[in-house]
Amino acid sequence: MKKTVDVSIPLGPVHPIFKEPCRIKCETFGEQVLAAEVELGYMKKGIERIMVGRPWQEVMFLAERVCGICSVIHNFVFIETMEKISGVTVPDRAAYLRVLANELDRMQSHLIANFSYCYTIEHETIGMYLLNIRETVMDMLEYLTGARVTCAYIVPGGVRFDPDNEDLTRIMTAMDDVERETRRYMSMFESGPLIGLRSKGIGVMTREQAELIHAVGPTARACGITTDCRSDHPTYQRLNFSPLVRTEGDNYARVMLRFQEILQSVDLIRTIIRTLPEGKIRGGGTIGRGETTHKGEAPRGELTYRIKSDTHGRVQEISIQTPSIMNIEACARYMIPGVTSVADVTAAYISSDPCVACTER
Amino acid sequence: MRSILSYIRHMARPEWVKTFFLAKTAPLSTPPHFREFPHLTGKECTHCFQCMMICPAPGAIEVIRTDKPGEWKPVIHLGHCIRCGLCVEICPELVLDAGRVHMKNAQDGTYMQFQFHITINPVTCMGCGSCTVACPVNKEIDPQLAAKGTSTSDEVIMRVYKGINTVFHEDKCTGCKTCEEQCPTRSILVARVLEPLQISEET
Repeated sequence: MKKTVDVSIPLGPVHPIFKEPCRIKCETFGEQVLAAEVELGYMKKGIERIMVGRPWQEVMFLAERVCGICSVIHNFVFIETMEKISGVTVPDRAAYLRVLANELDRMQSHLIANFSYCYTIEHETIGMYLLNIRETVMDMLEYLTGARVTCAYIVPGGVRFDPDNEDLTRIMTAMDDVERETRRYMSMFESGPLIGLRSKGIGVMTREQAELIHAVGPTARACGITTDCRSDHPTYQRLNFSPLVRTEGDNYARVMLRFQEILQSVDLIRTIIRTLPEGKIRGGGTIGRGETTHKGEAPRGELTYRIKSDTHGRVQEISIQTPSIMNIEACARYMIPGVTSVADVTAAYISSDPCVACTER
Repeated sequence: MRSILSYIRHMARPEWVKTFFLAKTAPLSTPPHFREFPHLTGKECTHCFQCMMICPAPGAIEVIRTDKPGEWKPVIHLGHCIRCGLCVEICPELVLDAGRVHMKNAQDGTYMQFQFHITINPVTCMGCGSCTVACPVNKEIDPQLAAKGTSTSDEVIMRVYKGINTVFHEDKCTGCKTCEEQCPTRSILVARVLEPLQISEET
């Protein structure tokens, strides 16, 4: 018998689970969801239009305000694009410190993503414990860069401040705490019958489907795709980075992959602090004219900047491509249809870690 | 009555009194270069306006004249300031400070260098010379230029030379953008160029 649509249920744009406004329309048969559609466009900022015509000194601060949760990577990729345009080189120590700031930012982004997933499956307690870990990470970000969210740490040709040995020791000690706590909650999530096992086999997306819709980031890597822009980055290659992959493709895999990536970031940070080269943190160099495209790996996936600048480093054209739009589309087309209850729709949506602030920049 | 008594008995417990009166929290330690809002250090401001020019947040910093004759000072509007610390780093006279940015910069040997580039669009420029006459630096160097509009000096920033507006000394420009405002065809552009640099250890 062919199933016909019973009721069409709208979730959002204002919903207690969603961090940001977004509307999901679900077509249901009983409790089963047959199809879903995502509607965006509630908080368009027009930040690319504001960037056009301004010198890079101003655009640098606008770029890290595209998204509050992954602000360091926006700063990182924007400055790298401008450096690529004008051929500015970075000293070794600065390159390592950039990666250090980026990995701290990635850890806190993954922790908040897993918090909101735990909150969605009605387990606030473990979520709150994850936020406690995040506080430690944020403190370390503040010790390194001088600010918690909008750091403005990366400047053309280097970084702003040089951490001394005391700071590095403090970060190293904090990483021990973070690893211990993360492993504890990860094992709880892995084995707890009411926490993690509730999400096994829900919101499954196969590798073929993910390749078809070009899913990126942890959402794609949980389906077995091995794309990670960090493996193309020269500094990460020196740190022997290799991307982590899981093959299940369900909610559980996505959350567990994020936990594993946090532990991987801990290892990377330890390696950086152990092998941090001595030397300058700022080279010289003037930003000039050109046009180029540059990619970087944000916590949610691939981030692309395409910039055209004039002789004085004014941005003439800019286009930012952020990861979440593909993941949200993948979520609506492949993850949500087929879930057994309406309550799992929000869980599947949040497990792909959508960021509407990035998407509607 | 009994409930009040039970409350009093509860609050008189030594553990409760101890936690209430002798509570100890961990000492708050400020990060080494925490960037708070910029504050004045009391050094003399030479009103070079570099802090105003570098500031990425519109209207966050303003250099104004004080009541005393010939004294200027920067005023920070806290609602607009984004605490990026660029004004602190760029100020050549160390008038501003935020947290331990100066200390950290002196330790690392990092600084910012400021330059200006003047470009004239040869297609739209009609060689009227309004910019040359209006430029305050030109007036100082060659008073004849400001009075009569014609001069033969090459020491000025720019001059109409053989009917074409020519830039001679870009390095003398202070970035006041008076020429940009005066140009009737909007064909002159003053761009600031900022270089973050570090003093090398050899020199």
